[in-house]
Amino acid sequence: MAGVQFKRVSKRWGDFVGVRDLDLIVEDKEFLVLLGPSGCGKTTTMRMVAGLEEPSGGEIWIGEDMVNDMTPRERDVAMVFQNYGLYPHMSVRDNIGYPLKIRGLSKAEIIRMVDAAAAKVELGPYLDRKPGQLSGGQRQRVALARSLVRTPRVFLMDEPLSNLDAKLRVVMRAELKHLHHELQITTIYVTHDQMEAMTLATRIAVMNHGVIQQLAAPEVIYNDPANLFVAGFIGSPSMNLMSGKLADGTFHAAGLTVSGIGGGTRDNVVLGVRPEDVTVTATGSGLFDAPVYAFELTGESVLVTVTVAGKQIAARADRHFRCQIGDNVGVRFDAARTYLFDATTDERIRL
Amino acid sequence: MTVIAHQASVAAAAAIRRRTSRQRKRAFLRVAEQLVLVLLAVIILFPIVWMVMTAFKSPRDVYVYTMWFQPTLENFSEVFNPRWRIREKIINSIVISVTTVIIAMPIAVFAAYAFSRLAFPMKRAMFQWILLTQFIPAVTIVLPFYVMFRQLGLLDTYAALIIVDLAIVLPYAIWTIKGFIDAIPLETEEAAIVDGAGRFRVLWDIVVPMARPGILTAAIFCFIITWNEFLFGYLLSRQNVVPLSVGIVGFVLERGPVWELIAATGIIITIPMFFFAMMIQRHFTKGMNLGAVR
Repeated sequence: MAGVQFKRVSKRWGDFVGVRDLDLIVEDKEFLVLLGPSGCGKTTTMRMVAGLEEPSGGEIWIGEDMVNDMTPRERDVAMVFQNYGLYPHMSVRDNIGYPLKIRGLSKAEIIRMVDAAAAKVELGPYLDRKPGQLSGGQRQRVALARSLVRTPRVFLMDEPLSNLDAKLRVVMRAELKHLHHELQITTIYVTHDQMEAMTLATRIAVMNHGVIQQLAAPEVIYNDPANLFVAGFIGSPSMNLMSGKLADGTFHAAGLTVSGIGGGTRDNVVLGVRPEDVTVTATGSGLFDAPVYAFELTGESVLVTVTVAGKQIAARADRHFRCQIGDNVGVRFDAARTYLFDATTDERIRL
Repeated sequence: MTVIAHQASVAAAAAIRRRTSRQRKRAFLRVAEQLVLVLLAVIILFPIVWMVMTAFKSPRDVYVYTMWFQPTLENFSEVFNPRWRIREKIINSIVISVTTVIIAMPIAVFAAYAFSRLAFPMKRAMFQWILLTQFIPAVTIVLPFYVMFRQLGLLDTYAALIIVDLAIVLPYAIWTIKGFIDAIPLETEEAAIVDGAGRFRVLWDIVVPMARPGILTAAIFCFIITWNEFLFGYLLSRQNVVPLSVGIVGFVLERGPVWELIAATGIIITIPMFFFAMMIQRHFTKGMNLGAVR
């Protein structure tokens, strides 16, 4: 068991920069999620830990070892792949036992450990089948069992749930969380799914263009985004972002003004507010009135989208709220629940 | 009213005529297609039928064009008469073909893996050169080969024929096996690497079993190619290592070719091919069922 440390790690292919001067410490027993859009460098970062990709610069440490020049085997990490990476010609038992076989454990020991690992993920009855005879969820479990059978120093998971259907994904997510709690193994988990990131992570590292945009606990990422990218990437529906300018603590944009935003004056700012912090009220009682552009039921709440000066603003309302497209409604939000960003640097402006 | 009804019925009749003419056309095309297929089959099968029939004819029936003759096994027992030394030539062919395949397969697997997965300078060019060697007509290089092996003192040895056969067979084997290795998901290999396997271990535990249908197919084709190889076998052997395919020439005597013995030997040469054809078929279907796991 060990933490992982990146010291100014970078990865380039010719002119293309995959990961840029990454500094990151993954604590022992932590569940760290690398979150970002495709091509942001999250998978590359993980593959460098596994030893499948060689860094162009910098150092990677696992526990007390600088692993740059170590083979994947010496690193003692386990990885779950997006497409599971199972061995189709081997039985489930042989798949799970493969890492043990390579390490030269005795047959009896392998049987005992495979049985234990299979029991953890409820694969007991399927040990004699071939991967081709299993469902997607069962294959996923085989991949999991194979990675946890030898108690590695670090778990690496590369979008392990993305090939499952929505329902199964939720089940497996809970299973992963439970397994991590039970095994207490340092885990690095790559995903582009913010729900997975929010639910699983001890800390989330939001990445874009090969750079970590923000590294923090899920609630901090959600409630206190460091820049426009994080603010827009996290949350569904995503945060309402309005361009405008700030004059003496009042935000001005086409069709609306919001007062009480600090005390400064500056041009080129973006004001953000999450849909759940926007309230739909009777006309005349809000910050402004606007026509309803869309009304969507989601079950646990409703989503109301209004149009202000050609821009759309989403609000989450009580699940019993009803309105029609084209109705005029009032819209209100609390200045204290807004976020201000610099439109040129994309950085958060702390007030 | 009646006029309209009349016009309608005329139109309907025309439509029916059009339809039947289209149907007739289609039927004609189908018959033509069958005829072409039958013709092709006759052309392709005639030599084989001739060989099989001649092999069972007694010498006096050979030049008679008839389907009705008294079949005999005499030719087969005559072929094995020690004076033709056919038994020896069968052994020669087996030794040459089997050794070639046994040497060729590991080399081809390593080469195919390297071309499929590793990065090294001149990779593309080298891969194309390997194919280019196949385009050189054998007759143009057979004499230099003869001279070379004479200088090396290897004429009429197994080594000479095996070396030449390896050169003939390897490019083909490498290309075939590479195709199968390309189809193995990289993720499967990476999983094994992270599980702790080194390159050779990955090759042996993952790549070889998953590419097995391709390797077997290549092995069988290589065997067939060496088994049937004639030109180099003819020029590089004297008496010690004459392969079976060349052995047929021994039945061309001063009084002319002994057709019934040539045909009987032809059947002996062909028998293994039938088994291999069946094996290949079975392996191909198995290989398709195996597939990769997503």
